[in-house]
Amino acid sequence: MPLLEIIFNILAALALFIYWVVTFIIFYHLTRFGIGTQPKKFAAVFLLGSVVLTSVVIIFFINSDISSLIKI
Amino acid sequence: MIRSLFHIFHDSLNSFEGQAHSEKVLMLIRKHPFFILLKIALVLLACLVPIIVGIYFWNYLGEQGWRAIFLFASSLWYLIFWLSIFYTLMIYTLNTIIVTDQRIIENQQKGFFNRKVSELYSQRIQDVTAHTKGLIETFLSFGNVVVQTAASEREFCFSQIPHPEIVKDVIMKIVSAKHSGVKL
Repeated sequence: MPLLEIIFNILAALALFIYWVVTFIIFYHLTRFGIGTQPKKFAAVFLLGSVVLTSVVIIFFINSDISSLIKI
Repeated sequence: MIRSLFHIFHDSLNSFEGQAHSEKVLMLIRKHPFFILLKIALVLLACLVPIIVGIYFWNYLGEQGWRAIFLFASSLWYLIFWLSIFYTLMIYTLNTIIVTDQRIIENQQKGFFNRKVSELYSQRIQDVTAHTKGLIETFLSFGNVVVQTAASEREFCFSQIPHPEIVKDVIMKIVSAKHSGVKL
């Protein structure tokens, strides 16, 4: 595997990791400090959407071929 | 058990941390959704960028073999916007004013791990003012409520809250009930 591909994979993994850290912080704030039903609804929608979007990102990441960009 | 889990989405006493046993929540106020919807609308406009780029450059991307990369970059773009929408909603939902039969509590969330809670007991309230200014505020019925305490203490200003006149009336009811000794 070329070095650029390894870097690309590491960066993608790092981006997803940071995303899930921030997701956890938002989810924590909404469920821990939220008063009433609205924050809980937002937290549930946010978590569900995050799971779906992350799955989509992973699928597109697997299908993508970075070597086509490296050729430039 | 599953049924009780779903109760958190529709049943709430609006209870909060530090609530006294006999304390009753009368109002839970958040800012008017107009400004938050405006912010979200701007974010949604930015979400159109990958769609427009895709429509105009789809063939070119196909020729270069970049479609898969483009789809991956677009999905990352949407992931970032999903995060920013819910960050905005988090700030909106966590900035609350709780009016109870004993006090007013203002929760201010200014960012991650930056939270300020102020409270004001009803016996210290001297004067309440509701202020609606401008076309949008008048039509959408929101404005500011200023709660004045004893001269040496600061005043509480709740901005852009819906139906400020109703909020003012409720606060004045608590104050007069407190002074007359009537339980709400």
